[in-house]
Amino acid sequence: MFDKVEAFYRPANVREALRLLQSGKGQARVVAGGTDVVVDGDDSVRFLIDITHAGLSYIRRRGTASVIGATTTMAELEASPQIQSLAGGLLCKAAHSCGSMPIRNLATLGGNMANGSPAADMATPLLVLDAAVVMADAKGRRRLPLAEYLGNARSNRYARSLVVEIVIPDPPRGKGCRWSFQKLGRTAVDISLVNVSAGLHLDSRGRVKWVRIALGSVAPAPMRAPGAEQRMTGRILDQALLAEIGAEVAREVSPISDARASAEYRREICSVLTRRALEECSAPAGCSL
Amino acid sequence: MFGSRGVFAMKTMELHLTVNGQSLNWSIAPGELLLDVLRRQGYFGVKRGCEKGECGACAVLVDGKPINSCLMFAAQAEGRHVLTIEGVAIDGKLDPVQEAFLDHGAVQCGFCTPGMVISAKALLDRRPDPTEDEVREALAGHLCRCTGYLKPVEAVLAAASKRKNRARRVKPLTEVSR
Ligand SMILES: Cc1cc2nc3c(=O)[nH]c(=O)nc-3n(C[C@H](O)[C@H](O)[C@H](O)COP(=O)(O)OP(=O)(O)OC[C@H]3O[C@@H](n4cnc5c(N)ncnc54)[C@H](O)[C@@H]3O)c2cc1C
Ligand code: FES
Ligand code: FES
Repeated sequence: MFDKVEAFYRPANVREALRLLQSGKGQARVVAGGTDVVVDGDDSVRFLIDITHAGLSYIRRRGTASVIGATTTMAELEASPQIQSLAGGLLCKAAHSCGSMPIRNLATLGGNMANGSPAADMATPLLVLDAAVVMADAKGRRRLPLAEYLGNARSNRYARSLVVEIVIPDPPRGKGCRWSFQKLGRTAVDISLVNVSAGLHLDSRGRVKWVRIALGSVAPAPMRAPGAEQRMTGRILDQALLAEIGAEVAREVSPISDARASAEYRREICSVLTRRALEECSAPAGCSL
Repeated sequence: MFGSRGVFAMKTMELHLTVNGQSLNWSIAPGELLLDVLRRQGYFGVKRGCEKGECGACAVLVDGKPINSCLMFAAQAEGRHVLTIEGVAIDGKLDPVQEAFLDHGAVQCGFCTPGMVISAKALLDRRPDPTEDEVREALAGHLCRCTGYLKPVEAVLAAASKRKNRARRVKPLTEVSR
């Protein structure tokens, strides 16, 4: 593996990293935690560019948003008081589910997005939080909605770009706001068969004011469930509505069968986990995140 | 992996790092993994298992944190402190975690043991008084095909209370000296 690698670079900033990526002419690979790069074991790689020294490990506030640098690890996210207090700790719970401790000490948020896996566990909570991705390439920086980025992450559209940071606008907060992350994996430290994130804001009369539902590992990229969200808005969340929404998400997803699970099973699990997520969000004691 | 297709084609680079307190300077291939380099240098306590991050047999501490050395490029260890199982005992005296693994029969073939001990040590350094859940959580990335998980969990909890008792025994003294 990696026998053809001629050079290992440790650029000290984004500009240098981009220059190296450009001059690698498609044979360079960005490495952050390396947990996907190494397992992929792409034999054609000739240059490795380690971006963990490029100044992208940070968790900050900027205006009314939280900003997370691309090379921030899952372990750092879990331990951050700022992330613990954002959306009831939704991102901490998701980061905590990303493999074992030795994996979470390496795995980065940017790598999780850039790898473009439909099962990436950080994608659904970030979709629920209306996150955006800041990209950098030779022409400069630009910001795009996470859903748009994820839809193209596996194409080579961003091959000469870096994910710089993830921006999370402050979500609705207050008594009626609840959050949930649900994941079903083979073991506690495995990637998801299906994962579901939800955010729910109920008004004082218990009607749905705002809702987000996102599902992972059930379509080519992690996705929102707009049909289900629309059906819920303005209604009281009771058992009948839960059943209706469970059925609706099962219609909206397009899972495949693979070594981990069949498409039919995944579709069923979408309903179950979505109901569980909404139940957790609407439980009187609140979200137990 | 190293040199099997002719060393002449392989570019090399320098790696400066500290392993078990010893400052070292190695020549590596830029695409080599930390696991391969450590084993080539004789740290055979770092086990080669799945090579996919699943089993934890290759775990070492880098700057005090457990990582899977099969997933880290050796070049990423530049300037960092690596602790392998060979460096856990000090002057021939076993670490309380190692003693507890022996006392509790948590070792059979021993293949998973270095990784488990390394992760357990990192946990106890960070949280001297962990709950059983925290111990299970810390060992979750380590597969054992012989002993199972009950004995290792017991051993880590026992090591924690032993370290605590030791600390308690010296506590009055430190209080007096303040
Ligand atoms: C045993 C094991 C268990 C795992 N469990 C989970 C799990 O439960 N949930 C989950 O979601 N994932 C899991 N993963 C997958 C992986 O750990 C995550 O996707 C991780 O977040 C990847 O981050 P990384 O920094 O290691 O990425 P890397 O491997 O360094 O990079 C991944 C890809 O993204 C590119 N890249 C990285 N950073 C950037 C950037 N800033 N800009 C542009 N491109 C970039 C790389 O070139 C590469 O193509 C697991 C992996 C293993 C080996
Ligand atoms: S050999 Fe590294 S985790 Fe299995
Ligand atoms: S003791 Fe043999 S694998 Fe754990």
